Amino acid sequence: MDAITGLATGFSVILTPANLYYCFLGSLIGTLVGVLPGVGPLAALALLMPVTFVLTPVAGMAMLAAIFYGAMYGGSTTSVLVNIPGEAASVVTCLDGHQLARQGRAGAALGIAALGSFFAGTVSLIALTFFAPALTAIAIRFGPPENFALMVLGLVCTLYMITGSAIKGVLMIALGFLAAAIGIDVVNGKERFTFDSIQLTAGIELLAVVIGLFGVSEILANVETLARNTLVADRIRGLWPTREDWRASWKPILRGSGLGFVLGIVPGGGPVTASFMSYALERRIADEPQRFGQGAMEGVAGPEAANNAAVGGSKIPQLSLGIPGNAVTALLLGSLVIHGIQPGPLFMSQRPDLFWGVVASMYVGNVFLLVLNLPLVGLWVQLLRIPYRVLFPLVLLLSVVGTYSANKNLFDLWVMLGFGIAGYVLKKLEYDLAPFVIAFVLAPLLEQSLRQSLVMSPHGALLLAQRPASAALLVVAAVLALLMFRRPAIPKGVPS
Amino acid sequence: MTRRPLLKTLAAAAVASLFATATFAQAPNRPQGFPSQPIEYTVVYPAGGGMDVTARLLAKYAEKVSGDRIVVNNRTGGAGMVGHAYLAQQAKPDGYTVGIVANLLWGDAMLRAQGKWAYTDLEPIAYVNSDALTWVGATEGVVKGRALKDVLAMAKDKPGTIRVATVPGSMWEYLVEQLETASGAKFLRVPFQGGGAGITALVGGNVDVAQGFLAEYRGHLEAGKLAPLAVAATSRLPTLKDLPTFNEALGGNDYVWNVIRFAVVPKGTPPDRKAYLGAVITAAMKDPELRAEYAKMGAYFDPSLDGSNAVAAGLEKYAGQEREFYRKTGRLK
Repeated sequence: MDAITGLATGFSVILTPANLYYCFLGSLIGTLVGVLPGVGPLAALALLMPVTFVLTPVAGMAMLAAIFYGAMYGGSTTSVLVNIPGEAASVVTCLDGHQLARQGRAGAALGIAALGSFFAGTVSLIALTFFAPALTAIAIRFGPPENFALMVLGLVCTLYMITGSAIKGVLMIALGFLAAAIGIDVVNGKERFTFDSIQLTAGIELLAVVIGLFGVSEILANVETLARNTLVADRIRGLWPTREDWRASWKPILRGSGLGFVLGIVPGGGPVTASFMSYALERRIADEPQRFGQGAMEGVAGPEAANNAAVGGSKIPQLSLGIPGNAVTALLLGSLVIHGIQPGPLFMSQRPDLFWGVVASMYVGNVFLLVLNLPLVGLWVQLLRIPYRVLFPLVLLLSVVGTYSANKNLFDLWVMLGFGIAGYVLKKLEYDLAPFVIAFVLAPLLEQSLRQSLVMSPHGALLLAQRPASAALLVVAAVLALLMFRRPAIPKGVPS
Repeated sequence: MTRRPLLKTLAAAAVASLFATATFAQAPNRPQGFPSQPIEYTVVYPAGGGMDVTARLLAKYAEKVSGDRIVVNNRTGGAGMVGHAYLAQQAKPDGYTVGIVANLLWGDAMLRAQGKWAYTDLEPIAYVNSDALTWVGATEGVVKGRALKDVLAMAKDKPGTIRVATVPGSMWEYLVEQLETASGAKFLRVPFQGGGAGITALVGGNVDVAQGFLAEYRGHLEAGKLAPLAVAATSRLPTLKDLPTFNEALGGNDYVWNVIRFAVVPKGTPPDRKAYLGAVITAAMKDPELRAEYAKMGAYFDPSLDGSNAVAAGLEKYAGQEREFYRKTGRLK
């Protein structure tokens, strides 16, 4: 079946009142999940999966998928407003989004984020519609060497996220690596840094780290300034993006969409990697990179487009091969199985109604999300008028509930608290926290893919250069790293 | 709250009519006043995985049979260790906690629990299903079109050239080890974090042999992307009648590596509640629809473990064999 007739089938399946309703419901829940710090799409999907058993497979899948991409829309909201990411893919949005909010431009940042997400979501869907089979063939060839090269590139990109001292930034990357090493070594199954603790054997939970480092520490930092009642009580300037904002944003949105889509398809990628690689790219090619970290609209537009496009991209291996790219897609595949549907390479040809129905539902869901999110911008901005003493206890409560609900493991709350205090101290000492989180995300895959490659290879590390895709990625990484030296990464206070 | 007894009566009536028409062995004998709150099925692995899907399907059919409210809760961490320790040490033995677990519990208890708890702290109440590890070969490259014996012979002639996907510290690795010891072959073991990742690497041409469960490779098998070599079960898989077992192919009797899924309650759970909870699951497992759902997932039903006495004795036997393997290979002193 070719793409056009397939899509037509899909729309005929999805455009019934019931299916549209569940798609809308998913979009709404996804937005809320994204907005609430701590409550990530994974926890929400796990909670709501049983509800979808009573629905038809199409309605259930449309709703669950909408929660996933809806969370990517909503995730930017708290990043911008209170400097606390709604989920891991929105960590980067804090860097410039929150600075914009401090300048009274929260509305503009949220507007750009919503429209950028819509554009990227739709572009990645169109690409999914027409190129899914071809891209699948490429994605499956992506083995350990290619994954390693991609992670190296990611690591180089992390360097571009350092806003203060380069040495402190590199130190945070190193600490991120060490923290990620906790747990069972993937190659020989030995425990590392676990100190005989059962809790540490599978490593520390990413969600708890992110919420602790960004959420709890931000709250602690703000307790000191309680006297200063609200964030931006009297200087909210303009609710909508200006012509100037658009001029700055449209190219980053385009680039973010392309980058995010590609990174969504390959196994090591995903929304988190996509968002910070896009940030690094924008900062690298900007005329005035020193504006980044001070409230650059490009630093919001690119990453927000990228994380949404990555969701579309990640659907390709998921729907066409039954391969989960991350925990959320694994859960979506699991729910298909409960509906009695076997995901796998034949899914598309055996159940075209379902495949195209889900694809069509994503087109519709993106429109829902845009319609839902633009009017909400005004409401969210009003939240800034809520006094800290009311807002932050609420945020803290949500963080605790969200972190606990993911694994129902009390230990995660201690991790969250520990990283909250560490984050507070590190902020005071002017260490960047984002590079730590990114290194923490990249390190396990980096290590695993390198060691797999070396095991697989008869010629040691030469294998990395012999495979064209990994060689190309490594060259790009090397060039980017060299360029770092040409333009210092410490722009603060340095006139260009 | 006044509506609840009515609902329960209705549910009981519905169940009774089910029993009248279907061939269920016996109606579960409900203890007085139990349950008065939802029953938790604890899963120690993340939502969406094979174990989780198994438990959620089971809960759906157990609710249908009993009329009780059942919630599935994922208590994850430590690769299952946190949930296992929770069930053995913290969960109240009041009948409201049922663990839907796998025999991977034994490895955790014997090798990693440091004597803080033992697998005997959890009492099996019902058998659910099993999945056996299968060796699958690529349809291109060095193992193309070869049988298991040829693959082993190749790995003996040219040691370390055939790439096998494995999961360190688990039965994936134990099976490779067992085959190497028995045949003198030497494989190049490429580590992955789970069976599914290894299958993906096989289809992508990054390894020559992968090991996995039917659910993980069936899609690719139907698409002709891989060829199964042998299955590490006591008998052939019902869905793949042509595929020999390792024991048949190599003439052994202990090439058996499978996941056995069953339900447990914490030690000390009142006997009447324990019997009731087990009977509900056994009755749910009699529903052909649930059996069909599990068969679709690739799992099979081992009749030798059916029934509350059989499951306890059978599992004890398998646990003993596993302990023996750990002793023989020096993993356990």
